[in-house]
Amino acid sequence: MTTPILRIENLSKRYGTKDVLKGASLTVNKGDLKILIGPSGAGKSTLLQCINFLVKPDEGRVWLEDAEVHYTHKGDLCAYRQKVGMIFQDFNLFDHLNALENVRIGLVRVKGIGKREAGERAVRELERVGLRDHLQKYPAELSGGQKQRVSIARALAMDPKVMLLDEPTSALDPELIGEVHSVIRDLGANGMTMIMATHQIGFASSLASEIVFMEDGRIIEKGTPEKIFCHAENTRTREFCSKITELYGETR
Amino acid sequence: MEEWLYIQTEVYPALLKGFWVSLALIAPSAVFGLAIGITVGVLRVYGSRPVMAAANAYVVLFRGIPLVVQLFIWYFGLPYVKIYLTPFIAAVLGFSLCSGAYHSEYIRGALLSIKRGQMLAAQSLGFSTVRMIVSIIFPQAIRRALPGCGNEIIYLIKYSSLAYMITCIELTGQGKILASNSFKYTEIFLIIGACYLAMTSVASAILGRLEGRLRLPGFEHQRI
Repeated sequence: MTTPILRIENLSKRYGTKDVLKGASLTVNKGDLKILIGPSGAGKSTLLQCINFLVKPDEGRVWLEDAEVHYTHKGDLCAYRQKVGMIFQDFNLFDHLNALENVRIGLVRVKGIGKREAGERAVRELERVGLRDHLQKYPAELSGGQKQRVSIARALAMDPKVMLLDEPTSALDPELIGEVHSVIRDLGANGMTMIMATHQIGFASSLASEIVFMEDGRIIEKGTPEKIFCHAENTRTREFCSKITELYGETR
Repeated sequence: MEEWLYIQTEVYPALLKGFWVSLALIAPSAVFGLAIGITVGVLRVYGSRPVMAAANAYVVLFRGIPLVVQLFIWYFGLPYVKIYLTPFIAAVLGFSLCSGAYHSEYIRGALLSIKRGQMLAAQSLGFSTVRMIVSIIFPQAIRRALPGCGNEIIYLIKYSSLAYMITCIELTGQGKILASNSFKYTEIFLIIGACYLAMTSVASAILGRLEGRLRLPGFEHQRI
């Protein structure tokens, strides 16, 4: 049976007079890979950032494993964020730490695990993303694809229940996208629950359990990749999909 | 020959004594000044509104009043409210507070220069605000603040020469006494100038080495 692991209800965010997110609701089951698509400014990033409260929503509620997240309580918020991994478009590796230290620091400083044990765990996570030989390299010495894989290892080390990926390959050269995609594919195969915003339609449709089309701060339509890409009900969804298919190649 | 004897028997011992007093003033003032500067700098960026306002007021006050005046207030002013400080303590207090105000400005600038993404990443891993500042933001900021803070320490070495104004007889004070006894102002103050130059040179060499040790790949200075 599918069990909801993350549930968001009516998340809204306003910047000044502009509503960037207008009541988004989503239920994510264990092992789901939800893909958020939509034009820029649709609110995909804001939605992801609201889910782990990097952006404080003006309205709305979030449940993780049936427990509501009280984000105004700092302790609860920190505990919740450990269970929700976040991957950023521009990696956001800690510039003053090498790859190993980047992965280890959360374990040591947040989880309070001993340095040695945390180091061993960090090495395992970096091995998992294929970076065994780059442990001592600083972010500036890594390629974009390697940086993104370090950031994935850093998030995985915290044992998240859900991963939020905000256009993880948008800042990468085309030939580096593949290495990050294959890591994400492995994650999915191992049952990781993920919500990912992306423009990589081909990758999305081959992997997604559900595609969520957003526009103008709203979730317009959701459904299986086949439904969204081939038989979308909404005109805007169809328009967007045909445009993006043209840009990024075949849907499969 | 007579000159040499004078230097050996009078100038050298007196200046050496003064030199040790100067060092004894500079070392704690540098440490306290930096500690105050870091604290105030962090509060000016991350403090709540009233805390931030108080920290800003501190900087306005201690950066805006001439140091000599501050020293006079600590040493000659406080006795009016029945607080008596020794010249040495008054000088260290004055230097630390003044130095802290300047340091805080370098620290503040460095903290503000850290990209928001670093904070988002730390928060998304579950870092509390304090942990994030200590483990992620500060280690990066201090590297950027170091040239400025080093500058302030060099400055401190030189303005420690004001301590004799409140009767804490350090290097400059000893020089003043020697010179007014022997009228050899030029010679004595040339020697004293050289002493300060030596101290600041040593300090800047140490700071340069420290900067080198903290240098990170990707942040090297590129010669154009």
